[in-house]
Amino acid sequence: MMIIMQPGAPRAQIDAVIAEIEKQNLSSHPIFGVEQTIIGAVGDGHYVAQEIFEAFPGVLEVQRISKPYKLASRQFHEQNSIFQLDGFSIGGVEIPIIAGPCSVESRAQILEIAQAVKEGGANALRGGVFKPRTSPYAFQGLGEEGLEYMVEAREKTGLPIVAEVMAVSQIKMMEKYVDVFQLGARNMQNFNLLRAIGETRTPVLFKRGMSATLEEMLMASEYILSGGNQRVMLCERGIRTFETSTRNTTDINAFPVLKKATHLPVIIDPSHSTGDSAYVAAIAKAGIAAGADGIIVEVHNDPARAISDGKQSLTPEAFAKMVKQVRAVAEAVDRKLVAPTP
Amino acid sequence: MMIIMKANATPQQVEHVIEHIKAAGLAAHLSQGLEATIIGAIGETHNLPMEQFEGLDGVELVQRITQPYKLASRQFHPEDSLIPVDGFHVGGDEIAIIAGPCSVESRSQILETAIAVKEAGASALRGGVFKPRTSPYSFQGLGEEGLEYLAEARSQTGLPIVAEIMSQVQVDLMTRYVDVLQVGARNMQNFNLLRAIGQTRAAVLLKRGMSATVEELLMSAEYILAGGNSRVMLCERGIRTFETSTRNTTDINAVPVLKKLTHLPVILDPSHATGHVDYVAAIARAAIAAGADGLIVEVHPNPAHAVSDGKQSLRPEAFAAMVKQVGQIAQIMGRKLAVASEYSKQGWA
Repeated sequence: MMIIMQPGAPRAQIDAVIAEIEKQNLSSHPIFGVEQTIIGAVGDGHYVAQEIFEAFPGVLEVQRISKPYKLASRQFHEQNSIFQLDGFSIGGVEIPIIAGPCSVESRAQILEIAQAVKEGGANALRGGVFKPRTSPYAFQGLGEEGLEYMVEAREKTGLPIVAEVMAVSQIKMMEKYVDVFQLGARNMQNFNLLRAIGETRTPVLFKRGMSATLEEMLMASEYILSGGNQRVMLCERGIRTFETSTRNTTDINAFPVLKKATHLPVIIDPSHSTGDSAYVAAIAKAGIAAGADGIIVEVHNDPARAISDGKQSLTPEAFAKMVKQVRAVAEAVDRKLVAPTP
Repeated sequence: MMIIMKANATPQQVEHVIEHIKAAGLAAHLSQGLEATIIGAIGETHNLPMEQFEGLDGVELVQRITQPYKLASRQFHPEDSLIPVDGFHVGGDEIAIIAGPCSVESRSQILETAIAVKEAGASALRGGVFKPRTSPYSFQGLGEEGLEYLAEARSQTGLPIVAEIMSQVQVDLMTRYVDVLQVGARNMQNFNLLRAIGQTRAAVLLKRGMSATVEELLMSAEYILAGGNSRVMLCERGIRTFETSTRNTTDINAVPVLKKLTHLPVILDPSHATGHVDYVAAIARAAIAAGADGLIVEVHPNPAHAVSDGKQSLRPEAFAAMVKQVGQIAQIMGRKLAVASEYSKQGWA
């Protein structure tokens, strides 16, 4: 951490900052310039809040040099984290594809889609049963009934299931059913929920908030990691920008940036990041070309009649076509899609 | 165009709007609902300003149904446009890779870079001689002297040259030297410049403004096309967002969105879109996978000593590695990298 003092800050103020640095078990390295003094605080400072120093009299600015996250950082864990899930791994050479409807709507719907996405090349099934809908009047999900249908779909297809958890109170019940918790964009900074998920040992698909920086995302993942749950997969799902031709703007830069900053796997969600099925395949390919470790994509057997996200849901045929294209891109970047589930 | 009337609009106000629609040579279709009255204006509305109707009494909202651009739209021109650039075409099977330094700094620098990028597989050479720098105290470019060095680089390597034009007073000078006029992000809505370029027949690389929507980019292209210059290539170079880990945010969605809306070729600039050499190759690959028709990349023989954009400039070796990776993606997309003809070596006709 670098603490930049105001021009002409008196010696007493400088000494007070130095004393605080040492109190925090860091060592201080002051540089006395002609006009300004800069004090370096050296040591393991990731847990020291920079606000402490910002409030000291005479301090102009505090700049963090080291990352404020630790367990998520590549410095701490140099190798890519590779997680074994049911039937595939993520974070290594293999690229898994998670597909399914936005919402579980009925038993018949999820069973039909599960079969279709399996045939199209999916390795896991997604489906929401608790839905964080913008409107409180919109369909809120089938709840536990939906999970029972998901489990039936898993038994029939062998695909592990991914579903969103919205509240701490749902964790115990959902753990019994799902293979991977999804933490939605709207809950990226629901810190109580993050801590509670950190106490479980269920893998987590962790979505970036729509207005969250990558650093904030990594800090939020740190909440889960610091609870002892290591299996966190990050997911870029588009950010809010001024552009109106798409639902969100896919932050494709996030892939090389995250792959450099963290050892955790990074997944792309081209459905939410574009909001339009016409653009999903192109962005899925771009994601893999940029270094993404997996794809989560919305597929519906009848998008025009989907209760939610119909506009961005692929038909099973379009999904199968996308998988074919993505397979070629994966090979061009020396990776491969997970072999189909038997 | 749909004109939605206020809930309490009077029949006289509705009638007045209909008269306006008819006066503009359009047909009016009245739809009276329980709560709101909607009037459809049908016909050639792309050149009609919405403001004209927004200001009428009783109007709640005006919504455009058709696109406000025409010559740039795929409806108007369903086939992809092929822009000829000295021996290759941008917009077809061939993927153009334009590479070179941010600024032409000296004769030896641009010659060295030109030879290096050509060897690595570039199809055209970039180099700025008029530089729109954020600070008026920063290096502003070599001007015409730089153009002479670029011309020499072209005759030595055969690479056509791409350089930025900043003002309409530079049009005559620039068109004598360069193959492709670049309009920079900061000038995307410099409409006088766009109109002046529309009067030339030079190929144009039109960069998206850092806070411009895709629709605004297409409207700017329309200024050039409307002048009769149809050789316009669009360029996504990153937009301004809240994210701070990169210089800009690559709007990768813009690639399939533009390919759907327009017949014009779409180029991606991964150097400006990321601002960091570590991320350039990944974003270049992503661009081609998303359907881009070309790349423009900053390359410098000695990035640490570059006058501008050193942080985002690839070394020639890193550029060569990127070209190889991009070639693999191009291949699976059924495309190939463009190669410049030897024509440029003979000089400018």
